[in-house]
Amino acid sequence: MHVVRRDGDGIIIAGTVKASFMMTGLLRLLGLMLFVALPAAAQPVTLERDSPLYAEARLESAQVAQLKQGASGEVIAKQGAWLNVKTPAGTGWLFSFNVRFQSQKAGSGDSGSALGNVIGPRRNVNVTATIGVRGLDEQDLKQASFNAGQMKAFDAYTATKQAAEDAARATGLAPAQVEYLGARP
Amino acid sequence: MRRAARFWLAVAALAAGCGLAGAASIDLGRLFDIGKDVADASKGMDEKDEIAVGREIAGRMLGAAPLVSDPELQAYVNRVGRWVASQSERPDLPWHFGVIDTASINAFAAPGGYVLITRGLYEILDGEAQLAGVLGHEIGHVVRRHHITVMQKSAAISAGARIAQGNRNQIINNLIGSGAEVMARGLDKSAEFESDQIGVVLAARAGYSPYGLIEVLHKLSARAGDDASLALLFKTHPHPGERLTELGTALTPRISTLPAGKEPPIRQVAGDVPPPPAASAPAAAGTRALTADEVAPTVKGGSKGGLGVDPGSVLRGIFGR
Repeated sequence: MHVVRRDGDGIIIAGTVKASFMMTGLLRLLGLMLFVALPAAAQPVTLERDSPLYAEARLESAQVAQLKQGASGEVIAKQGAWLNVKTPAGTGWLFSFNVRFQSQKAGSGDSGSALGNVIGPRRNVNVTATIGVRGLDEQDLKQASFNAGQMKAFDAYTATKQAAEDAARATGLAPAQVEYLGARP
Repeated sequence: MRRAARFWLAVAALAAGCGLAGAASIDLGRLFDIGKDVADASKGMDEKDEIAVGREIAGRMLGAAPLVSDPELQAYVNRVGRWVASQSERPDLPWHFGVIDTASINAFAAPGGYVLITRGLYEILDGEAQLAGVLGHEIGHVVRRHHITVMQKSAAISAGARIAQGNRNQIINNLIGSGAEVMARGLDKSAEFESDQIGVVLAARAGYSPYGLIEVLHKLSARAGDDASLALLFKTHPHPGERLTELGTALTPRISTLPAGKEPPIRQVAGDVPPPPAASAPAAAGTRALTADEVAPTVKGGSKGGLGVDPGSVLRGIFGR
């Protein structure tokens, strides 16, 4: 089975599950060379609907340009719901839900983190995309039986409300008053 | 005695006669409020019943894919999930959160507060705010009882025909699986969109960036349609791009007032945990019915294998069922 795996900070390697240690080492080196040789992956996006390109990441800011559906650009940063996008018409900010990132094939070495450069740091993973691996499917679920041992473990891992709140506050999280969307302000 | 009451008593009696009412079945007579019309049956499902059904479904799900063997990870996901759930209208459900060991990209919720996220999805998350958004979506399904609504419709439509056939497996299917049949064909889009909005808000209430879920939807949208790990997701759900559009429409009027929130790092799966199996694990050896002290009061035992119930299709998920 062919797999693609990311190891460490952006080192991309490819090989087979049964590859020897030596082969893995060679591929690792090759992958490192490739990674070093290539610039950081571009983050091309296409505009899903007509939208102004804002000078700043807020609706009240000046508009750099009026972009049409289908316009393309390259994402260079994010801020909350906004993406900083470089376009032929200029560089500015767009709502992230008004754009679509270019499709990416599974197993292309990015572990599904196609937007890792934009919406989060790269991180180590134990396993990433594997070509042709389906994982859990409908048939598996149809044949499943109740697993009492797993259920016992599932019970054991639960957290109390207080423990969850203590952990959240230790992380610096503070609850906020936010009405459901659609609710009258 | 009204016809509906006789109907549900007949179901219970038939189940008992088939040996299901002892260790393995849910108390059907209790589960539905006898005396109501079939069409109203699941409206009579109280919270204990809801938890019992969810527990049964979750246990079967774990029979299809076990929890990732990383206790610290599981405890961490429970802390994050419980904190997000605490911001909902149902903070005191017996919330359970778990990461199951499959490469599939998906997440599931069963009634009563049972939420599972696959390792395949967990490992493409880049931060805790994204995890909070995903769990918040699942919590939304539970809080709004979306699954109960579907079970209600399904029970009303198919119960009579199933019972007439007198097949015990079909009785159980009717209770849990019939509702699943409807869900397997695709959820009501409005329920998914609603849960997306709830996920955003609950994450924001918990102090996270509200946009973690949007980032995850972008990730899914960007993945190729031929990605096998997403097959179930794309089969059963609105396309992530459509969900982004809906969410954007709902969010735009509020975008200036939502708090920025925090984006803490996410805990990674322990390095010594082996990769998930290429295909999902077979049903675990030694699977057995629950003992009395392992189950909720309304569940007298775990179901036996081979009942033909599709637990996954009973579950509702952000990215599939």
